[in-house]
Amino acid sequence: MKLSEIYSKYEEVLSKGNIPYIRCEDCGYVFFYPRHLCPKCNSSKLEILVSTGRGKVYASTKVFRKNEVIGIYGIVELTEGFRVYCNFKSDVEIGDEVMMSSIKVGDKYKLLAEKVK
Amino acid sequence: MISGFASAIYKKYEGSAFELMADVVSSALDMAKMKKEEIDGLFITYLPGVFDGLAYPHFFTNQVSQYLGIRPKFAEVSDYGGASALAMLYRAYKAIRANEAENVLCIIGGKGSEIRLRGVTVDSMDKLHSGISLTPFDKFFRGLDEMNPISDYALVANRHKKVFKSTDEQRALIAVKQRFNAMNNERALYRDPLTVEEVLKSPIISEPLHLLEAVYPVDGFHAFIVSKRQSQLRDLDVLAYGEAHWPEIPAELNDIVYTPAIESSKRANFNLSKVDAFQLYDSFTITVMLQVEDIGLIEKGKGGLFFEENDTSYKGNLPINTGGGSLNVGQPAYMSGGVILEEALLQLNYMAKGHQVNDVNVVFLNGIGGWNRSHSVTLVLGEKK
Repeated sequence: MKLSEIYSKYEEVLSKGNIPYIRCEDCGYVFFYPRHLCPKCNSSKLEILVSTGRGKVYASTKVFRKNEVIGIYGIVELTEGFRVYCNFKSDVEIGDEVMMSSIKVGDKYKLLAEKVK
Repeated sequence: MISGFASAIYKKYEGSAFELMADVVSSALDMAKMKKEEIDGLFITYLPGVFDGLAYPHFFTNQVSQYLGIRPKFAEVSDYGGASALAMLYRAYKAIRANEAENVLCIIGGKGSEIRLRGVTVDSMDKLHSGISLTPFDKFFRGLDEMNPISDYALVANRHKKVFKSTDEQRALIAVKQRFNAMNNERALYRDPLTVEEVLKSPIISEPLHLLEAVYPVDGFHAFIVSKRQSQLRDLDVLAYGEAHWPEIPAELNDIVYTPAIESSKRANFNLSKVDAFQLYDSFTITVMLQVEDIGLIEKGKGGLFFEENDTSYKGNLPINTGGGSLNVGQPAYMSGGVILEEALLQLNYMAKGHQVNDVNVVFLNGIGGWNRSHSVTLVLGEKK
């Protein structure tokens, strides 16, 4: 698979608000940040899947500029076993269960995580 | 091995980075009693924006040599951010020993104010200029609201708190202890006494990290001349060296609470009980806490306890960041490897006026670079055997 094909598929999934990821058919490694060869075993046998979007907070921080919160930034570990950077919609703690979605901001995608009540 | 060094640091320098750089190089040449024509090797580092606000200097080593009026046999950029200074010193040392050069000039610095005053950090230059890429995955990463590098280090600090039960007070204590060392250092920008309460009352930038736990990006340069010739300075040697690079975007690391210092220090493999002073990269308090753990001064997770139990002042049992570190000297151009290297040389040459450690023969340095803490360089300097 060419990187451009991965990007097309990613954009298709992300534009519907879902989270795509890649699974290596040879070594089983799962990852989000797109590469056309497995970063662990260099295999080209990769498949693009759609995550359930369910995960847990791995780390988070509330970011301030001049005492105003500009965002809550962090990392979520999805149930499928890969981690992504995201912004959180509200205060969270490490270990909290979240549901992920995505929105387009300019020409980039922002992954968002919301705490599951 | 080092025949001259110099620095100049300003909160805001009203002039060009090239001008300030050339003045600092002249001071280093003066100390080495050397003419600039004798420089035959060049190492420099830069980040987008730190040379007069420009994004990507083109054939950068040429521009530097053009301005300085030197014609080196080799000229290279070292691209490890905060760890560059230590890596270029080592590469220069190797070049001298291999007879590839006689006198190698190493330059670190630039103008942090150019970026600071535009309300971004060096890790968000893509918000100022189009055509800048920070990762191969920017489309899926750079749409986020963050303030890297501090927000990414804040993630580590929060995870360290959760996993190892370290506290905000313990990190604040690192800032307090470094300030004590800065109080009599004429090079330090910040010299007033500081308490844990004051650190914790300072504004939160990215929780849990406070303003007084973070370096202030300033304008300045350090220059070091590595030579074969004898000089008025103590004849030093590289006693140990190691580097390690973990390029992963931290979401893909096994565990973000570890830094590549754990590997670079293992590669250097130096007996820490023989060290008289440590200079550990201090972009943030948490950076120092991680390094005391990762270089093996204390077991993983107990970095906070380490600072409660040890006197890390220049008079203490384990002197660390003896001039106050870049938290107090300032961080020129978002890379303060020059600050810790200069402090090591001041200590080893008994030139650390007001903060001299007694009987210094061995200094252990560790530099960390990159918003994602990807580069670590461990360097041990001491008397030539």
